[in-house]
Amino acid sequence: MTIQAERLDEVVTALRTVLADDQILTSKPDRYNRARVPAPFPVHRWSERLPDLAVLPTSTAQVAGVVRIAHDLRVPIVPRDGGTGLTDGAVPLRGGIVVDVKRMNQVKELDLENRTVTVGTGISMLKLNEQLAAHGLFYPDDPASYPCSLVGGRIGTSGWSLIGSRYGHTRDLVLSFDHVLPTGEVMHVGDGIGHKISKSSSGYQLKHLFMGHQGTLGIATEATLKLFPKPEAELSPFWAFDNYDDAYRCVGALARAGVATFAGAVLFDEWKVAYLRRDDEAYIPQPRDVRALVCAVMYGYEDEVRPAGRRLFRIAKEHGARYLGDEISEGDWAARHDRYATPLHGRTKSGQVVPMSWHCEDAAVNYTQLPAVSRAWHEIVADLRRRTDVFDDWGMFTYTSGNTGVDYLTEIDVGIWEQQLDDRAWEMWVKAKRDIAAVALAHQGSISACHGSCREGEVDLVPDELGRGFDVMLDLKRSLDPHNIMNPGKYLLDRAYETGPTP
Amino acid sequence: MTQLDREGPADPVSVPFTPGMRDNPVELTEIPDEIAREPVALADPTLTEQFTEEWRNASYNCFSSGHKFCREVCPVMQVTRNESWTPTAFHANVVAMDRGELTIEDVAADYVNCTQCGACELRCPNTLFTGDFYRFRTRTVDVVKAVRALAVESGVHQPAWKTWNARTDELTHEPVLGETPISQEHVRDWSDGLDLPIGGETVLFVDCEAAFYRTSVPRAVAQILQQAGYEFGLMGEQWCCGGPAAEMGYVDQAKRFARHNLDNWRSTGTTRVLVLDPHDYISFTEDYPKYFGADYDIEVVLVVELFAQLIREGRLTPSVPVERSISYHDPCRLNKRKGIWKEPREILRAIPGLDFKDVDRVTQWSYCSGGGGGLPVEKPELTAAISASRLEKAAALGVDTLVSACPWSERPLGEAGDDAQIDVVDIHELLAESLGITVGGTRRGPGGDGA
Repeated sequence: MTIQAERLDEVVTALRTVLADDQILTSKPDRYNRARVPAPFPVHRWSERLPDLAVLPTSTAQVAGVVRIAHDLRVPIVPRDGGTGLTDGAVPLRGGIVVDVKRMNQVKELDLENRTVTVGTGISMLKLNEQLAAHGLFYPDDPASYPCSLVGGRIGTSGWSLIGSRYGHTRDLVLSFDHVLPTGEVMHVGDGIGHKISKSSSGYQLKHLFMGHQGTLGIATEATLKLFPKPEAELSPFWAFDNYDDAYRCVGALARAGVATFAGAVLFDEWKVAYLRRDDEAYIPQPRDVRALVCAVMYGYEDEVRPAGRRLFRIAKEHGARYLGDEISEGDWAARHDRYATPLHGRTKSGQVVPMSWHCEDAAVNYTQLPAVSRAWHEIVADLRRRTDVFDDWGMFTYTSGNTGVDYLTEIDVGIWEQQLDDRAWEMWVKAKRDIAAVALAHQGSISACHGSCREGEVDLVPDELGRGFDVMLDLKRSLDPHNIMNPGKYLLDRAYETGPTP
Repeated sequence: MTQLDREGPADPVSVPFTPGMRDNPVELTEIPDEIAREPVALADPTLTEQFTEEWRNASYNCFSSGHKFCREVCPVMQVTRNESWTPTAFHANVVAMDRGELTIEDVAADYVNCTQCGACELRCPNTLFTGDFYRFRTRTVDVVKAVRALAVESGVHQPAWKTWNARTDELTHEPVLGETPISQEHVRDWSDGLDLPIGGETVLFVDCEAAFYRTSVPRAVAQILQQAGYEFGLMGEQWCCGGPAAEMGYVDQAKRFARHNLDNWRSTGTTRVLVLDPHDYISFTEDYPKYFGADYDIEVVLVVELFAQLIREGRLTPSVPVERSISYHDPCRLNKRKGIWKEPREILRAIPGLDFKDVDRVTQWSYCSGGGGGLPVEKPELTAAISASRLEKAAALGVDTLVSACPWSERPLGEAGDDAQIDVVDIHELLAESLGITVGGTRRGPGGDGA
């Protein structure tokens, strides 16, 4: 559903009461460039995902004003922050107004004594850390999209951080935030009173509810974040193995070791190494018996990281690891945001280079279930590849989520040749996506550790995953967003209104 | 437990493999495809279809990546925070045109919002991590130029650009002095009293901004060359290099101007051209070779590189102390487009008295004056905002002077510098001062302050 032309005028006129003209974008390219995120996107049906217009507010009051207008006029709202998400929270399914928060990128307050910073949610972590570096501090929320994703999107998706095993993930790092509810009311939410309090037992724990909702419960506009000393030392050894099993055992042992500076470990499986051999200068020259890799990362002071590193090197050696050397170790970790997903790595089965889109399908999986999940996932992608070269297997990474090694962000990277997408290919993809999610659930995992689970295919299984909790989601949604204006069509939340109004 | 440990015979798709390896099983190439089809060539393609045919894959390489790491280094994006004016949007629009979703009329105006600084190309993971292997570089600047050219060819004009290029065509120089007329008779006025010959094996090419507005720059360059005993002359009949027209999409005009200049060099027996402006340097080393192919036999020498060499060889010895606290602004076309960042620093380190607070070249990928790519002609307010942001960074270093090596950056940076109380000086002017040369000329157009 999109807004009829005459209603569009009414909406724009109303928006002009809270925004300047240059904050209201209605042109076709403005709308086409706010329809898509890097999540699998049916590019052949691009025009069905357009917003009717986009707005660029600069303050909480302006966001609240826009949402109030949308609420009064019953127009859908889709929040858009970095637009870098790997689920499609920021993709409009019913037209409406995209609220793009990128202009809300100011640092409002830096509190050096309490070690917090308060920022507009349109700031990127990279830019924030450039400013914090002058004070010897950093904000350790480190997703793959670190150079361009924004604090607000991290809140809306409840993001996962590559170094979260040491510093925590977005939910641990965001202390509190201002949040515009679907009615346009402004709420400050955190632990108890919020602000700079990191732990409170007062009242319900609402902060988590307003993180990871994929824009279905409102828009975060200003956030207070926890800061850490910028680490003096970083150690990121990469080790090679001649088989997956040894690498798997090694990563488990490293994660379970209980080293305090341990910030994460990553396992590259045999498909991933085969993928990197396509053109990665670090891996092409490696001998053929290099089939799996493990990387571990430590952050802290020099005198903490050195002995901890010795311990992890000892564990790796006991598991048959071969150290790849300082150059690859430092270089690959430094390039962690850039290296592993470029369209030029796409190949047909016979080796033709074709531009492919990178899709990372993730789940949260316990350590003991990783081998079974990885086998089943590769088989799902192999089935796609037996039918067409539109899909390509780019291998799997598994990353520790916490400091005890209990569960892992488990991802299979799938190349998709978007130039060839059509309805049949898209249907094959959606089915595969559903199958990938089903495998995670069958192994007591969660559909997503990191991206969210509201895309076509996987979303069908969310009620199974959450059980009675899904009905609570419906109750909350109906209560907070009585007219279903906030990002409608996501997470099967329309079911909350089956006896009530729909826009 | 192993990934390879599965029941029954494995088919080649079910085990890890690297496509294209010589020893892969032949079955991998024999599986019929249910979806993928060879593209069909169009019988009678329109202008836009010819364009998207050429740029389709380049644009998908960006579109399909979705990284957007370019965004926070883009000078326009930094001040507008408008996702429609980002390198990713510039590629995505081409994909949308290829799919018939958008037309050149829809998108042309958005492509104004680019200074063609090249930061996005450098920050692109495709350039950074497949570049060496494939000799690949993301070419956003070329995409922007091509879309602007397609717009002009399709009759879609931006009003200020249209006027600017029409006046350039009429005057043979860019109308850099606004309503004050400029003309061929005055193109050498900057050199009054320097007694420079015309023509010869080596000529000094002076871009429009330096020849008419910041005349202190060519005066400094000419007098330094004289002091070093370096023989050179001025062009017989110098026209604009044509680069700005090419940047704004007026390709035919750019080619006409290039033709004139090349013919004029030939008529005076010139084989070497000295260039003091980075924009000209791009025109002469990238555009002209494309226009003329193997026919183009002119040696192009960047003055800043030449001066660094002359200092190294002891032919120039800056000895007059210049008591200033400076930082250096890497001009985008030198640093980001051409990888030239070492020589300007070499020159500055040779000047006694300077307190040089340097910012490394990679950090400066995200810096720009906003003066390039025709942006100040069509959107001067964005140029001003980008320059103000650049001066903010200089102010944070506590310097009193920002040194640039690009005349086109010095006007907007200088205006922003007035507000920040930071003097914006050209590197050639500064070097001349340290060589004891009284430069003369003007830094702010006719009637502006002298150097």
